[in-house]
Amino acid sequence: MVSAVIPRYEFRIFGNNLDKIESRIQELSEKEMTRKMDSIYLLSPYRRRNNIKIRAGVMDIKLLEQTHKGLEQWNPLLVGEFPMKADIIKSTVFPALGVESPVFERKEYSLHQFIDEVVTVDPDLSVAYVWKTRHSYTINGCISEIAEIKINGASIKTICIEAEDPTKVMEVKLLLGISDDLENVNYPLALKRIMGLNSLPDNWNKIDF
Amino acid sequence: MSNNKMKIGEISKPRFEFRTFGRDFSEAAFIMSRLSVPVPEKVWERSSTETYIVSKTNDVNNTKIRDGKMDIKTFVQSVDGLEQWNPLMKGEFPIKAEVLEKEVFPAFMVDMPKLDKAEYTLEEFMEMVKANDNLKAVTVEKERFGYMVNDTICEVANVYINGAMVVSINSESTELEDIKKTISQINLEGVENINYLQAIKRIIGMTDKKLAN
Repeated sequence: MVSAVIPRYEFRIFGNNLDKIESRIQELSEKEMTRKMDSIYLLSPYRRRNNIKIRAGVMDIKLLEQTHKGLEQWNPLLVGEFPMKADIIKSTVFPALGVESPVFERKEYSLHQFIDEVVTVDPDLSVAYVWKTRHSYTINGCISEIAEIKINGASIKTICIEAEDPTKVMEVKLLLGISDDLENVNYPLALKRIMGLNSLPDNWNKIDF
Repeated sequence: MSNNKMKIGEISKPRFEFRTFGRDFSEAAFIMSRLSVPVPEKVWERSSTETYIVSKTNDVNNTKIRDGKMDIKTFVQSVDGLEQWNPLMKGEFPIKAEVLEKEVFPAFMVDMPKLDKAEYTLEEFMEMVKANDNLKAVTVEKERFGYMVNDTICEVANVYINGAMVVSINSESTELEDIKKTISQINLEGVENINYLQAIKRIIGMTDKKLAN
C-alpha cells in the first residue's frame, strides 16, 4: 500500500559543533517534545533522490521531488510493514535503491530475513543503524529540530527546519544566522559520507558538513 | 610492575595494546587521568588528521596516510586478548609502482589494478582506491589526550570517523601484565579489545558489529 502526504521543504545540517545555532533555536522557541527512536537506513552509492528507512518494522521511502533555493522538498511514501512481500521489495524498494533486484527465495520476508538474506549479501547495499534523540521546536511556523544521533555507534548532531512553505524555511534560516553558503545535507547524504559511500566535500572539516 | 619502563616517544620492542571504542568512557578516562604520572607537555593534547584505507577482504593490515606518508602495520598476535602489531612498511608519496605492486595492494588483499606509470601521487593512489569496490578511504580526525599509568602509554581520544564521533581509550606496553593491571584499575575488564581497523569497519557498515558501548 502506497499513500502520500503533503511534502515539506527541508533544510538540514550535520556537525559536531552546532552550539551557536542550537542556542538561537532555544532562544526563539520552547522545547515541545523529545522523542527517542531507532531506524535502519538502506543505502546504495547510486541514487541521491531516495531516502529509504525502516522504523518500528515499517518501511518508508522519501523521494526528493525538487530543490528550491537550496531547500529540498521530500515526498514521503509509506511502503509497508514487515513481513513484506517479495513483490513489493522487487517493485518498490530495489528501484528506489537503484540496484538490480535479486532473485527472491521467499514469498515474503521478516525484517531480519530481509536484512540478513537480501541486503547484507548485496555488495551494492549498505545498512546504517541510526539511533536518534530528537528535540522539537516551532519557529515561525516551521517544524524545527535539534537531534543527537548515533550512526553505527558514532555520534553527530543534526539541525533541521521544515515547512510546506519554502519562504518560511528561508526566514528561519535567516533568524538562526545560517548563511546561504552552508550546504543542505540530507540524511542519506550524511550517512553515505560517514560510511564512505560518497566522498567528503572539498571544504571538509569536522565542524559542519 | 615490570622493570622495562616505557618512555613516551622512545623506540621500544614490539608493544601489545588494549584499545576499545565506544560512546562513553568518561569514568575510565577520569580514573586514568588520576592514576597517571605526569607526562611530557607535548602529549597532553595532540590533534591529527589521517586517511585510513580499509579493505573488505583484510583484517590484519592497518593502512593509514598522514601528511603524504603511508604507514602499514600488520597484526602479529593476540595474547590474553591484547594485540601486537608490527610495522610492515612505510612509504611516501609519490610512491613507486613497484611498492604498490609488492607491498601496498598485497596488504589490502584485493586484485591488483593495472599500473602503467613508474610512480603515483597521493591523488592518483586515492583514485585507485576509489575505483576498487573492496576498498574505502576513511577520514579520521583525532584529538588525543596522553597519560601514563603503570608504565603503560595510555590515551583517551575523541575520534571523528568521516565526521561522526566516537571515544577511544587505550593502554599499550611491551609488558602484558602492566596493561592488564591498567585495564583492571580503570574498570574495563571484560570490555572488547577493538582496534582502529575494526572500529572504522563497524562505523562505516563494513562489519555488522557494535562498538563497546
